[in-house]
Amino acid sequence: MRPVSSEFLVLKATALFVLWVLLSGSFDWIHLVLGGVLSFTVAWLNSGHSPFVPNFRLWGKIFLYLPWLFLKIVQSSLHLSKLILNPALPIDPRLLRVETNLGRRAAVVLMGNSITLTPGTITAEIDHDVVPEALAAEADPDALLVHAIDETSAGDLTSGRLEAKIAEVFKNEERRW
Amino acid sequence: MKIFFICVLFILAVLIAAYLYRVLQGPTIFDRLLGLNGISTKAIILLVLMGTVFERVDMFIDISTGYALLNLVGALAVAKYLEQKGLP
Amino acid sequence: MDILSVLFILAGLFFLIVAAIGVIRLPDVFSRAHAVSLTDSLGAFLMLVGLALHEGLSKNNLKIIAVLALLYIQNPVITHATIRAALRSGLKPWRRESS
Repeated sequence: MRPVSSEFLVLKATALFVLWVLLSGSFDWIHLVLGGVLSFTVAWLNSGHSPFVPNFRLWGKIFLYLPWLFLKIVQSSLHLSKLILNPALPIDPRLLRVETNLGRRAAVVLMGNSITLTPGTITAEIDHDVVPEALAAEADPDALLVHAIDETSAGDLTSGRLEAKIAEVFKNEERRW
Repeated sequence: MKIFFICVLFILAVLIAAYLYRVLQGPTIFDRLLGLNGISTKAIILLVLMGTVFERVDMFIDISTGYALLNLVGALAVAKYLEQKGLP
Repeated sequence: MDILSVLFILAGLFFLIVAAIGVIRLPDVFSRAHAVSLTDSLGAFLMLVGLALHEGLSKNNLKIIAVLALLYIQNPVITHATIRAALRSGLKPWRRESS
């Protein structure tokens, strides 16, 4: 087993213990002691894997980014509902490549997740994967293949507003992985 | 209030039937997978609603959490398998 | 409080019904995935928040929020996996003929 950073061990055990209390919902001594022992054991057994140090400041910034994402979700949900309820069904689906210069795995993951969470756009492929012949362009380092249901849904991506928001979240963070 | 919740429960069951139509009729296998995913999301909501009707939310929430986790693993396994195998 | 909860649940039900109509009406897998994601994000959020409001202040609310966070993390992953499998196995997205 690899050497364990004790800070990480304590954090993992605390997170597991909070989950235990949340799920069991009882505050007897026996439950608390059992949960503490079990969560510490599980954290100790698992501590060889994924030895990263959590970055709470970054998580806080991501948390502050969520309301903006939620606003976007509401807007595009209403737009998509209008499209579906329209008898003529005026959809115009398309695949488009969105190139990003975020340069970090975590930022690209957050961006892909946000795109898929917003109704009307879905991330279909990321970067170095097999690109189908229909769109056989040379893949840049960070390119997302996005399926959008019409022009308006893709507006935030083509104008680069989402990427600017995410770049703002990840600004001033030294890269760890 | 209870009557309202039971009405919502019935409407949700009817919506599940709509997804079931997609699962049974889907032209490709991915339609079926997608319909199954929609059904499971609705089943999670349905379980929490049922807990509210029976006033045992604490128990039903745990069931729905387990259901969500199982759905994640199952759907990912099927999608990965189909991705390697290609269209049947 | 009950009125607010009923309003939330009705709004969530609206989005769920629209998504079910979309799943039946839309032409191919890729567009249907958009309809399913409509259910997953806003429909589930409104329904579960409505139920949590009806529940009042208790520890069940925390559990409902945990289920909601789980849904918000896992549903994009599942949708992305399905769509990527569909794209890689060679399905062409439906295009409007005029274009």
